[in-house]
Amino acid sequence: MMSDDEDMSYDDDEYPPYDDDDDQGDYDLEEAESSRGWDEDGGSGELVEFSLLSGRDIRARVDAAISEISSFLSVSNEAALVLLCKHGWNVSRIHEEWFSDEAKIRKSSGLTVPEDSSGGAEVRGKGTFFCGICLENYVHNNSINCSAVTAACGHVYCENCWRTYVNTAIIDGAGSLFLRCPEPSCRASVAGMINSLASDENRGKYEDHVLRSFVESKKTIKYCPAPGCEFAIECLIGDGSNCKVCDYEVTCNCSYRLCWNCSEEAHSPVDCETVAKWILKRNSEAENTNWILANTKPCPKCKKWIQKNQGCMHMTCPAPCKFEFCWLCTGPWSEHGEKTGGFYSCNVYQEAKRNCEYNEQERIREMAKNSLQRYTHYYERWNSNRLSRKKVMADLDELPARILDKLSDIHRLTKSELQIITDAWVQVAECRRVLMWSYAYGYYLPENYDQAKKKFFEYLQGEAEFTLEKLHSLVEEELLKHTEEGASSGEYLRLQNNVFYLTRNTRDYFQNLVRALANGLQS
Amino acid sequence: MQQSRARLFKEYKEVQREKSADPDIQLVCDDSNIFKWNALIKGPSETPFEGGVFQLAFSVPEQYPLQPPQVRFLTKIFHPNVHFKTGEICLDILKNAWSPAWTLQSVCRAIIALMAHPEPDSPLNCDSGNLLRSGDIRGYQSMARMYTRLAAMPKKG
Repeated sequence: MMSDDEDMSYDDDEYPPYDDDDDQGDYDLEEAESSRGWDEDGGSGELVEFSLLSGRDIRARVDAAISEISSFLSVSNEAALVLLCKHGWNVSRIHEEWFSDEAKIRKSSGLTVPEDSSGGAEVRGKGTFFCGICLENYVHNNSINCSAVTAACGHVYCENCWRTYVNTAIIDGAGSLFLRCPEPSCRASVAGMINSLASDENRGKYEDHVLRSFVESKKTIKYCPAPGCEFAIECLIGDGSNCKVCDYEVTCNCSYRLCWNCSEEAHSPVDCETVAKWILKRNSEAENTNWILANTKPCPKCKKWIQKNQGCMHMTCPAPCKFEFCWLCTGPWSEHGEKTGGFYSCNVYQEAKRNCEYNEQERIREMAKNSLQRYTHYYERWNSNRLSRKKVMADLDELPARILDKLSDIHRLTKSELQIITDAWVQVAECRRVLMWSYAYGYYLPENYDQAKKKFFEYLQGEAEFTLEKLHSLVEEELLKHTEEGASSGEYLRLQNNVFYLTRNTRDYFQNLVRALANGLQS
Repeated sequence: MQQSRARLFKEYKEVQREKSADPDIQLVCDDSNIFKWNALIKGPSETPFEGGVFQLAFSVPEQYPLQPPQVRFLTKIFHPNVHFKTGEICLDILKNAWSPAWTLQSVCRAIIALMAHPEPDSPLNCDSGNLLRSGDIRGYQSMARMYTRLAAMPKKG
């Protein structure tokens, strides 16, 4: 049995709420963790609780169920396993059926009567026998390939054929949990022989089938969908009625953050239904055209096709052109700054349509009434943020080696000062995720939606996006200048200070956006 | 590959030896390819298939006997579990209930048993299945008998 404190409990209340009075002086390292939750309203931790289960934890639960059944019903562990797999790991149902009609449940589960308590294969020592699989007659002579192996039901095949039979079944899949004697008329389970006949590798696979069967039978446990991750996540819902989207988000041990409800990657502030619709739409329209549209654009000045491979939206065309432009609207970057007073309007679809500067673009934007164009607008922005986030996540992994170590050497920084930079990167990743889904949200706002609300949404989205772009280019581009030998520490500290406050601002703006989406854009 | 060949060769020799053992089944291996077999089976008595001779085609996979052979009717037959056009057979032992202890001979026996005891609840031929499910035994039998006469009996000169 496993005890509860073995679980890694993920409870939102563990982390201190964001404190506005916090200043740089008592910057709290733990605060980095709180970027995972947006729900300032609190209390959500009581509704949904998660625990992470490692392969070993699941194994422990499986063993507990097996030993409960085997000791109550006085059957072998293998027989208990067959009963559990057959009855969806429902211990009480097995008890009930067993005590109301033992013969019937034995028969339907393929357990022989009386049950062979050894459960294993028996090798007979004498005489000749005929193997019904390879159709050979054997004289028993103790050599491996022609030993007779008898199942609990009494049917004999040669050891070689038994091994191939069992191993093939395991490779074939979870059907091996219900593997029967090869004799066509015999319904007996041969689960008791798996251990002695399967290869080491396949024994491991069989074990996986067992664990998977257990997890799949439990409505409250789901496997982490990240490839190669062996963890499962158990979800205990107190009262599902008041749950918000973000309540179902949980970070697995492998650092993959998912929505437990729909098993997609975390997608707050958008609900599971919208995400499912969006993914379906994306899959059906994600043809080459869309890839090209979303991943490449001609430089607005020299018209050379450019594929975006860096995180932020500030693009610089390769030399000799060197034109700087915004990836989203392909307008000159110089018009995007605060100083020029230009409003960062890349999120406003209608605006973009009105203010277009290039004839070619004008023609395309005129076709914007067409639904594909509308979709493409949102899809490009959704995808840009998705790719940008992916890049940020990859950069985060090598941040210490690539940036932090150099900064620390050159400017002699403390651990908590370096943490400011990491926090900023974490914040950028999380905001890219929210921004990405906010475009799916925008796409599904009905055409005839309250214009004031729509404007309000686009305003919040624009503000959030603007600060995020600033923060992103600060930590992606500006920061690099300070990792060179001989960089001025005074200037660096000014930058670090900027990063710190901008991280906080960005978070505030995104919290506003998330909160507004959560309450249906009531201003 | 080697194992399936060895096993099929055993079955081949067994068939040669017991040629007259089961008068209802005549299994023949393709001269040039041991993975291709043909069989002639007699329609079971007291069924609409009585008096008919049906030809089956076997295609044996390299993983045989761990995987089942593919079998289909070459002779047209009106039966709920046989596809009317392709001759494909819906029989559990040819799918998930396969066991390596089955042989081509015993598969033929299972198909004869299926002819006598159709499973209208998992039909490949819905017309045939519907007749049985609606209880129209006479309708089913006369259709099946007609196709037996048309396709599975020697034409009278």
